[in-house]
Amino acid sequence: MGVELNKYEIAQSAYIKLVLHALKHKSTAVNGILIGRLINNNNNNLVEISDAIPLSHSQIGLLPTLEIALIHIEEQFVSQGLSVVGYYHANDRFDDSEVGNVAKKIGDHICRYFPQAALLLLDNKKLQSLPKGNPILQLHTRDQSKNWKQAGLAAGSVLTVKEPSANVVLLDYILTEKWESIVDFDDHLDDISKDWLNLNLFK
Amino acid sequence: MRRDHGYPPITEWWKMKRKLQKQFIPPTYEENNFTKLQNHRQRLTTVEDYINEFYLLSSQVTTYESEVQKDCIKVLQKKFPESTRVGRLEGMLLEAKGSWGDAQKTYTRLLEDSPLDQVILKRRVAVAKAQGDTSEAIECLNKYLEIFMADHDAWRELAEIYVSLQMYKQAAFCYEELILCQPTVPLHHLTYADLLYTLGGLENLQTAKKYYASTIDLTGGKNTRALYGICLLLSLNFISQCSMAMGQLIKGGRNKEDKDSSELQSLAATALEKDYSKRAPNKLSLLTATLKNMKL
Repeated sequence: MGVELNKYEIAQSAYIKLVLHALKHKSTAVNGILIGRLINNNNNNLVEISDAIPLSHSQIGLLPTLEIALIHIEEQFVSQGLSVVGYYHANDRFDDSEVGNVAKKIGDHICRYFPQAALLLLDNKKLQSLPKGNPILQLHTRDQSKNWKQAGLAAGSVLTVKEPSANVVLLDYILTEKWESIVDFDDHLDDISKDWLNLNLFK
Repeated sequence: MRRDHGYPPITEWWKMKRKLQKQFIPPTYEENNFTKLQNHRQRLTTVEDYINEFYLLSSQVTTYESEVQKDCIKVLQKKFPESTRVGRLEGMLLEAKGSWGDAQKTYTRLLEDSPLDQVILKRRVAVAKAQGDTSEAIECLNKYLEIFMADHDAWRELAEIYVSLQMYKQAAFCYEELILCQPTVPLHHLTYADLLYTLGGLENLQTAKKYYASTIDLTGGKNTRALYGICLLLSLNFISQCSMAMGQLIKGGRNKEDKDSSELQSLAATALEKDYSKRAPNKLSLLTATLKNMKL
């Protein structure tokens, strides 16, 4: 039988970037790409998400920005042995916790190159009071019938944050309004001097 | 302290903030700040000091989630009892509180007296959108645009809703209307090209190329997205050419178009490299590698 137990571990910097990106654009949906690698340990797969690249905050359903960004990302990270391992999305409405069709479509595209791809949806309601350890994200993975299912409620895939104090650090950044300095690919295309890698964000 | 009185210690920042505000900030703090802001005059201070003081006061005035809004509206209602504008403010306050049903009722009531009030008609779309009822939002917007077909913002809003639902053809129709009304606005050409690219298909891609080109023309070659769009399209064209060769669909007259296309792509690539070397030199090597990849 061998049910594949996939563990997903997201680095603190990727997690914080993701949330800050959503907080910067409060009235629109935002999305981005997750970068990392797959580590095989006998039957258990560990997907290590080491970075998050914020993509767009407007007209998310249009292809050109996504395609240009994916080509750039691939070129940037392939030399470091990293690849695209997932996609994150945050809905524009506070009470919307459904994975929309656009998100599923982009997830499907990523699954073609990385079948264990993670689709992370930001849980807007948990932003009000951050819980102690768990990340405020819903993990969705694709099962064998190519449907996106939420993990964690039944047995199966699990998402953890690498550094357990991530939510504390995140709260600190939220209070200092750090989201002002985050740059996504949309911002880069509007002004190419802005760095979509956000290399100086945490310095 | 709290433990002595049998209360659990405070463990969350927002709770602490609320307690501190209650204890140390006087109840008339907001009103005093508001009055100060309204009465702020330059008198004998320098311009810089005046501006700094202004920003300080306006940041201290928080009008979010306070009773001040309700009181203001009551005063206005007393003075202007039948006013549509005050009615609109009432509706917007209900929206801000999330009482969608009451907001809708208020707007419907106001529309009985002034059925062509553009702001109220648009607020109804906003309420529908906020509740996630996209079909209602689309219906209201379409009805609005039947009357006010020159409202560009409304066309753009409708297109955005369509894009979020992946109804690209309908979104493209909105942009066709926008280009008809405002043919020299490059943003419309650019988004229309993006929509056609997303729709796909040979004809759409060829039209997309034309609109990326017109965007570049209207912006004097400065629009990064349009330049990238051309590069993307022509790398796609290369793939389709190869498969078409297999299907024996190439006609003799296409050769000139191919030469123009590859010239266009190298022009776009050169323009991008020039811009990056000036404004984002640390990304230039990445760009060059990316462009090489796109040419396959």
